[in-house]
Amino acid sequence: MISSLPPGFIMVLGALLVPFLPHIIRQVYMMILILISSYSLTLGFGIHSIINVMDYEFILFQSDALTLPFAIIFHIAAALNVIYGAHEKHWKQHVSIISYSGAAIAAIHAGDLLTLFVWWEATAFTSVFLILAGNSTRSYKSAIRYIIIQVISGMFLLAGAVILLLNDGNVLLTKFDINTLHGQLIFIAFGIKAAFPLLNGWLQDAYPEASEIGTVALSTFTTKLAIFCFAKCFAGTEILIAIGAIMTFYPIFFAVIENDLRRVLTYSLNNQLGFMIVAIGIGTELAINGAVAHAFAHILYKGLLFMGMGAVLYRAGTCKASELGGLYKYMPITAVCTIIGAISISAFPLFSGFVAKSLIMSALGKEGLVLVYFMLLFASAGVLHHSGIKIPFFAFFAHESGIKTKEAPKNMIVAMIIASALCIMIGIFPATFYQILPYEIIFEPYDFSHVVGQLQLLTFAAFAFICLWHFKIYPPELNSTVLNSDWIYRKMLPGVLLPLLKLINKGNQKLENKINTTFLKLKLFFYNYMLNNKVFDRDSGPDTLIVIQIFTVFLVIILTQVYFF
Amino acid sequence: MIKLLFQKFGKINTSVLFLCILFSVLELVGHRHGETSIEDFPFFPAFFGFISCIVIFKLGVSLRAFLMKDEDYYDK
Repeated sequence: MISSLPPGFIMVLGALLVPFLPHIIRQVYMMILILISSYSLTLGFGIHSIINVMDYEFILFQSDALTLPFAIIFHIAAALNVIYGAHEKHWKQHVSIISYSGAAIAAIHAGDLLTLFVWWEATAFTSVFLILAGNSTRSYKSAIRYIIIQVISGMFLLAGAVILLLNDGNVLLTKFDINTLHGQLIFIAFGIKAAFPLLNGWLQDAYPEASEIGTVALSTFTTKLAIFCFAKCFAGTEILIAIGAIMTFYPIFFAVIENDLRRVLTYSLNNQLGFMIVAIGIGTELAINGAVAHAFAHILYKGLLFMGMGAVLYRAGTCKASELGGLYKYMPITAVCTIIGAISISAFPLFSGFVAKSLIMSALGKEGLVLVYFMLLFASAGVLHHSGIKIPFFAFFAHESGIKTKEAPKNMIVAMIIASALCIMIGIFPATFYQILPYEIIFEPYDFSHVVGQLQLLTFAAFAFICLWHFKIYPPELNSTVLNSDWIYRKMLPGVLLPLLKLINKGNQKLENKINTTFLKLKLFFYNYMLNNKVFDRDSGPDTLIVIQIFTVFLVIILTQVYFF
Repeated sequence: MIKLLFQKFGKINTSVLFLCILFSVLELVGHRHGETSIEDFPFFPAFFGFISCIVIFKLGVSLRAFLMKDEDYYDK
């Protein structure tokens, strides 16, 4: 029974029971659900479950070399989320997290576009409650914008699927050509979820408004599901290299000036997605391995950083760089774990980021894409700047903020320690880590050139930051809103469309008035005409005769129609 | 000398400075080569890292003028 269900489905189904369980038993129950779901991963590659509805075959559960690493990390992340959120007593967020994780896991096992579409929308509708759990007017509005954009993405996917179904008669999830209409529609659908440049507004808008637990879960699934879909359907599509390179590049500058540290992390998330998109665009075995390895490592260290900032938000009540500082005295374990996350994302040797990013950089070097290579190298220095230094520095060190608080709850600490340990273990044992990647490769990240080059790059970039801070060139963080692409639909479009709508409305009203008066005049004219000519009078006159004549003509026409035709 | 540097520049900052020197010296010990031929230039990653960080900072701060708005910008 369980083997015929797609992994993750049991988590979605099991979520229905979560509200009825008491607090701690609920967490144990959710862990059991994740464990049962992960059993399906042992079934091996191939198609395991198909259902037939209205002569259409839904492939619910298929697995291959690409799904396995994503499935493993999604299960690990789901378990970490359950531990991290264990202090939360209300059931609402737990239902959302377990069903959201389950939907994402089921989505990567979908074998056709329509099944994928169902889970695609399911991830949107289950995750929106995590943003609503931010419990403020801002988070409410943000959640509405989030769900609208996620549904739009789903609509593109469905449109692509329907066109493909009409053309080919099947919608199997395979490689698509970007030059076809359905290919382009599906590409946009994936692109919205992967937060492509100008389509990324929802990511920075919604994630930092979610609850402290919610952001950790959100950072894991939605965007990485899109990365998985790109790897599956658009590997080797050259335009992805350019898009990915831009994605790694521009969020750095936004992250530098952003004040909300969780929002800094969303820019950083966007930048890391860029690395994966570039690798998928290259499409060689080494590059795809790089993209998958990077997604795997990224989920752990980005989750860890979000966990650290979530703990700070939970205890200090704010996540703004301008209001934080000096927290290392009160939250030492959180500080150490966040620093491990920061070192990992910066790709220091012996940490997970290094062994994953090396694959992508190597693939770029091998393909001779020099410009993109240097853009990514520049972005690597940027990652160190905003995620490696800015996050731990402004939260735990910098100036004394005067905030006195306690260490994070125990469950948060456990989750952070496990994530930290995984980051380090991947960094120390890359060969074991590489074994779960889709293609077999022989790659040694720890050679003299790689290690020394990377260490030089990072230490000198760190030294530059130190100089800027020490000599007081670095300006203070300010409370502010940094404009992003969501500005287009939050300010620009309303700014242009509202006056236009008002104008149209005004014109419309004038036209309506005009029509109304003309109609009235016409009515009056006929009324007077009929009254004057005594049409409705009982006495028959010449007008009555005219009416009788007209009816007679009609009668004759109708009768001839009936008898002769 | 080192003590003075520790006092003036801070412990962590000085340690990073020493690490920079250490990793630069390492390059002289063994042969480092990069993925591209430009990277084979001596101490290339060091220069690249330092300059990138400054450029990111400068560009980022100059973008403040265009992109930075009041905190309640969208709520107005």
